[in-house]
Amino acid sequence: MNGETIKTLIKDWRVALVLLLVVGSLVGIYLAPPSPEKGLEGNLQFGLDLEGGSWLQMEFQSVVVAFSTEGSVGDLMEDLRTGLETEVIRIDENHIEIRKSVTRADLEPIFAQSGASIVTYQKGVSPFTADEVKRILNEKVNALGMQDARINLLTPTGSEFPQYVRIELAGVDMATAQDIVGQQGLFEIRVQTAGNETEHVLYGDQITSVGVPQKDLDGRWGVSFTLTETGAEAFREAAVESGAVDNPDAHNLVMILDNETVYSAPLSGELAGQLRSGPVRSLSASTGTGDAGLEDAMTLQIHLRAGALPVKVDIVGSGSVPAALGEQFKMTVALAGLLALLTVAVVVYYRYREPSIVIPMVAINLAEIIILLGISRFIIQLDLATIAGLIAVVGTGIDQLVIITDEVLHEGRVPSPNLYMKRYGRALGIIAVAAATVFIAMLPLALMDLSTLRGFAIITILGVLIGILVTRPAYGKIIMAILSK
Amino acid sequence: MEFARYDVNKYSPRQMVALPLVLLLLAGVLLGYTTLTTGLPITPGIDFAGGTAVTVFTSDSRETIETTFAGYPLLSVGEGIGDGKYIQFGPMDSAQYQSLVALINEKYPDSKIDQIGETFGKTLQSQAFLALIFSFIGMAVVVMIAFRNIVPAGAVVLSAFADIVITGGIMQIIGIPLSLGTTAALLMLIGYSVDSDILLTTRLLKRKGKLEEKLSGAFKTGIIMTTTTLAAIAAMWVVATAGQIQIIAEIASVLLIGLLVDMMNTWMLNAGILKEYVLRGNKK
Repeated sequence: MNGETIKTLIKDWRVALVLLLVVGSLVGIYLAPPSPEKGLEGNLQFGLDLEGGSWLQMEFQSVVVAFSTEGSVGDLMEDLRTGLETEVIRIDENHIEIRKSVTRADLEPIFAQSGASIVTYQKGVSPFTADEVKRILNEKVNALGMQDARINLLTPTGSEFPQYVRIELAGVDMATAQDIVGQQGLFEIRVQTAGNETEHVLYGDQITSVGVPQKDLDGRWGVSFTLTETGAEAFREAAVESGAVDNPDAHNLVMILDNETVYSAPLSGELAGQLRSGPVRSLSASTGTGDAGLEDAMTLQIHLRAGALPVKVDIVGSGSVPAALGEQFKMTVALAGLLALLTVAVVVYYRYREPSIVIPMVAINLAEIIILLGISRFIIQLDLATIAGLIAVVGTGIDQLVIITDEVLHEGRVPSPNLYMKRYGRALGIIAVAAATVFIAMLPLALMDLSTLRGFAIITILGVLIGILVTRPAYGKIIMAILSK
Repeated sequence: MEFARYDVNKYSPRQMVALPLVLLLLAGVLLGYTTLTTGLPITPGIDFAGGTAVTVFTSDSRETIETTFAGYPLLSVGEGIGDGKYIQFGPMDSAQYQSLVALINEKYPDSKIDQIGETFGKTLQSQAFLALIFSFIGMAVVVMIAFRNIVPAGAVVLSAFADIVITGGIMQIIGIPLSLGTTAALLMLIGYSVDSDILLTTRLLKRKGKLEEKLSGAFKTGIIMTTTTLAAIAAMWVVATAGQIQIIAEIASVLLIGLLVDMMNTWMLNAGILKEYVLRGNKK
């Protein structure tokens, strides 16, 4: 091939596009941003099994029920609350969330008793509760200064409601991971006595339930919570003794979580009055009006729970990989990839015995891998399964290049440009159908929340798409230019 | 290569389809029997049955490991090349699991541990089953649209179906468990198996020329295609098995078996049906 052919080739948009994407991918991996300290890995993102770390998969112990009733929804919810001794939340017009793992059969009688019936029954929580869980977990993880945490809500295919939450913590061992998730902070309410001095009132264990943020008649947001009898007694005592009942403004109530003040406000006049005559178990802490008030109420609600999740979760799966082992796996898969590419090169050489066919084939294959890695850097983490997918793509990639080569070289000679284009089109047709099938076959796996093999499916689909749209057309052009010299 | 000596033109369509169909039947009976006795066509692995899998690099022998974990529901100890070991445990309660983890951390601090609960395994099972069904239907639809002709399209779908069933049968016989990884490999097989079938069908039905020549031309291309894929997967299998990377080793072994099965199905079952179809068409 002389300089002239190379020039015309590069001017062909198909070839130019491949070159552009390869360069772009390399830039993405190594230069944007530059990461010389990471060596060959550049900016590639690795999954837990290659990086080291722990994962926990937890199932919400909660069900969502769609109901129909002739009577009052409030009564129904009250019956459920007392019957099941758990929190019940209204999600919308006809859905409620019952925060307990309870079977449909156990629910039926309670519904019947309240003159209602169950329309659908699903395990899981409302999106609202799910987000709250995610927010709490995030807060816990951030509080420990861990940046490399991933928290995902998972909805099984065929269900409408999130049923699991998966948390992945890089560089953390299993015991620590479980601690982080299970750990509750120390919550304390204190009352201001004189000046900056405060006195202990009660601890978080005296709080029996925490409500969701609600707006009062004046448009102020607040979070309601209930105390145990002892808690309410202690609260009253402190309020009276400190003088908060008589002069609320000088004696703020202060809420402290893990030694940090999270809320501080005076008693309301109304509550002060009630406390004079006796203990009050249902309290509400107001946070202000508007979006800011709502925001604060959300955070306060989490603090009141002291980092406990609103719904009980059970660990249904877990795992951990030590960083050293991850490093070893990384080397192994890199070796597997190289060896695969090399073996494929030997096989096609054995078949064609013509470097001018084999070199472009292998080069195009390599380009495909680089482009895939370049794209994956932005959208998925490379884990073991994803790399298996990548290697499988090397296999399919080459075999489609073989289809093009054989189709074009029919009867061992390179045909005239017209005939060439016709055959080339036919070869692409075969490949397009094959690509469409792989695409469709892997799609369910790529879309399913629960599979840990999403990466595998996504990389396979991407490989097929890049192949059919970019690299195979370019290969056709290159092989034509080389062979017709 | 032994298989390359197979002369695709030597046999009648009836002879060609006989072997694959018999194997399909046998595999179908085996999987059906397993389903009836255990509820699943193939013995499930940890992912689907629940349990704990531990990958550890140690010079301790299998016997030592068995003694160490005698108090736990130990299922198997797999050995790789070098010091890699893959230890599987059945489902256990939370207290026992905690004590197992403590023991592992004490004895083999640098090990990879994965645990799946029994009911969660069931959920994963049903999700994987859904994926398999959707994939297969999707594939069939694409093939139907591409060929718009019931016989060739049916032949492609049948041979993809045979690929999966026979591969499943072989998995059950040699003891490769059904897991998320192997299910993904089976799905990939659906995609893979189709491309040599499409090459064959396109060459036979859309090109002009003698049937024998077209068939042997397609065969030559098809074999080299599958061989290159096999080569890549074999390399992956060797390295993953040696390096004790269980998930890749499982995916690779299922793909290897599947591709070999697919060679047979494409060049005997599918080619046989197409040959008969073309020959009958010519008589009219």
